[in-house]
Amino acid sequence: MLRGVRGRLTLTIVALVVLTAIVLGVAAYVFVDTRLHDQTLRDAADQARFDLAVLAPSRLSDPPTDDEMRQLGDDFVRRGLATIIVPATGGPFGTPGPVAAAFDAIPASVRQLVDGGQIAYSWQPVGGVSSLVVGGRVLGTGPAIYFIRNTSAIDETLLQLRIGLGAAGLVLALVAVIAARVVARGVLAPVDDAARAARRIAHGDLSARVPVASNDEFGDFAEQFNEMVDTLEETIVRLEDAQTQNRRFVADVSHELRTPVAALVAEASILRDHLDSLPAESRRAGELVVHDIGRLRALVEDLMELSRFDAAGEEIRTQTVDLARLIRDTAAARHRDAVLELPEERVVIETDPRRLERILGNLLDNAREHAAGALVVVNLKAAADRVTITVADRGPGVPPDRLDRIFDRFFMADPSRRGGSGLGLAIAAEHAALLGGRLRARNRDGGGLAIELALPVTRSLPDGDGTATPDDEPQLT
Amino acid sequence: MDARILLVEDDPSIREVTAIGLGAAGFEVVTAADGVDGLDRFKAETFDLVLLDVMLPRLDGYEVCRQIRRTSTIPVVMLTARADTMDVVVGLEAGADDYVRKPFDLPELIARVRAALRRAGAGTSETAPVRLGPLAIDVAGRTVVRDGTDIPLTRTEFDLLLELTRHPGQVLSRDVLLDRVWGYDYLGDSRLVDVAIQRLRAKVEADPAVPELIQTVRGAGYKAAR
Repeated sequence: MLRGVRGRLTLTIVALVVLTAIVLGVAAYVFVDTRLHDQTLRDAADQARFDLAVLAPSRLSDPPTDDEMRQLGDDFVRRGLATIIVPATGGPFGTPGPVAAAFDAIPASVRQLVDGGQIAYSWQPVGGVSSLVVGGRVLGTGPAIYFIRNTSAIDETLLQLRIGLGAAGLVLALVAVIAARVVARGVLAPVDDAARAARRIAHGDLSARVPVASNDEFGDFAEQFNEMVDTLEETIVRLEDAQTQNRRFVADVSHELRTPVAALVAEASILRDHLDSLPAESRRAGELVVHDIGRLRALVEDLMELSRFDAAGEEIRTQTVDLARLIRDTAAARHRDAVLELPEERVVIETDPRRLERILGNLLDNAREHAAGALVVVNLKAAADRVTITVADRGPGVPPDRLDRIFDRFFMADPSRRGGSGLGLAIAAEHAALLGGRLRARNRDGGGLAIELALPVTRSLPDGDGTATPDDEPQLT
Repeated sequence: MDARILLVEDDPSIREVTAIGLGAAGFEVVTAADGVDGLDRFKAETFDLVLLDVMLPRLDGYEVCRQIRRTSTIPVVMLTARADTMDVVVGLEAGADDYVRKPFDLPELIARVRAALRRAGAGTSETAPVRLGPLAIDVAGRTVVRDGTDIPLTRTEFDLLLELTRHPGQVLSRDVLLDRVWGYDYLGDSRLVDVAIQRLRAKVEADPAVPELIQTVRGAGYKAAR
């Protein structure tokens, strides 16, 4: 809860407030305490001087009698002052009870000063009550009188002051915590805003900006942040535009190439039929023309196929497909020597057979081109929720650092080999994605490349019960 | 063979080389460079088959096909640039019997042309009239009558109807139909079947939305009512 900048800021503010409160509280307490004691002492001293100089001499003879002393003591008690009267000779005479016992507790230094004719005092408890004892001798030489003043009111006041200060301190600390959090939140709000905006940007929302709310460092920060995002957004939009243009260009080019290539292909068909009647010196050229037109055709058709993926106008036409049969048929057409490892039981899924055939055909073409003459194995495995078709060869494989790039367009694992268009695996990957599956490539133990197609299994409801279901109509637009 | 073919194609190179190839295969070829010219030729002379490019100046291939279909059941094979749904389905809905994708090898094109001509000229050994519900199918005359009214069908539609009717209650998969009606031996475009079935139903069913004569069997194919 109190972590980070917010926590440290809060703690600092609270600590400062509490420290200030303690210092002020202690100072106030000490001041009040001192003033109260000083005032009481001064009053008591004045009173004692008056009593010793004026009142007592008029009431006591020298030496005083017990009666005089008792009378005087009673009069003082009536005024709220207990007294201990100590005649020049004999023991102290005083108000009975605990007060008399207090005489022994009066510090010797005080008694010496009093005996010497001065007025002296001592703060001490008398009978369990905090008191101020002020002593002096009548007229400086007569009997000593100690006045005992109850000062518990001072303690009471000071106690209340302590409670008050403590309570005020607590309230202050509480207010400080709340205020500190408010301040911290206020100070850190721009940081929160920036964090929120950064998070939105990270999730792809490039329209996120930080409000520029103030003219301070945070305002500068917000402006810089927004400028950065502007630049980022511009760059991304520019890149996207460039990619769109690039794709449109490829689509346009392949589209424009289509008609001349169609003418070339048809022309090559005728030329191929008449190669034998060409003179020897031009026959080889004729053969190469026919061959290269075939390559050109494959390239243009691959480009057009990819352009259609980019235009995202592809539709999937699923039907019930017997995978083993499709693999057998495709292998027969594309790679006769491939060894097929097919499970005994029928594997039937709902998928688009033309796309699946295209994927498998391209994988077989790839194996034939890059592992010429090597053993190629097509393996079909079926699990409850997915099927995998693996085309594995014993060719040179692909360097591990390039393995995940073989599905990129125009990627050639070995640039010196010019087999196909370099688009076959990219096209296969696009078809696989459309079918809800994906292609993965790995190098095999013992050499060679294995490309695995994983497809989700979807099966139609049991059919063959003869019921016609109009909702099975293919959607034709 | 000596069949007459009308080739409507705007690209001069493709037009010329295709004409050469078809000529070498024994066909008599008449060419036209745009849709209007093609329709004029079609009306002026008699042909056994029309090869029709989709993208044509003045009048596109679909429209030419639609206009041909108003008066004729001649086999029409479209030459489409792309095997996209739109191109293929629109062409088939315009009444084409088959399509060949550009760029094509001449042998491939010639094979499709021969298959279309074979179906058109095929005299069936069995010529006894057949019935499918209210439909009276005259195999020899290639006509279909429902409630005394003549229903005009293209060759492909008629062949499809006949193939289904000859196996009442039996499910025929799209692949089987492609093989028997269109002459594809391996993985033709099943859209050919679906579109032709839809067009056929629109003509012969009382309510095409609730087909009774030609039924869909989920995940398997189509069958004619028993």
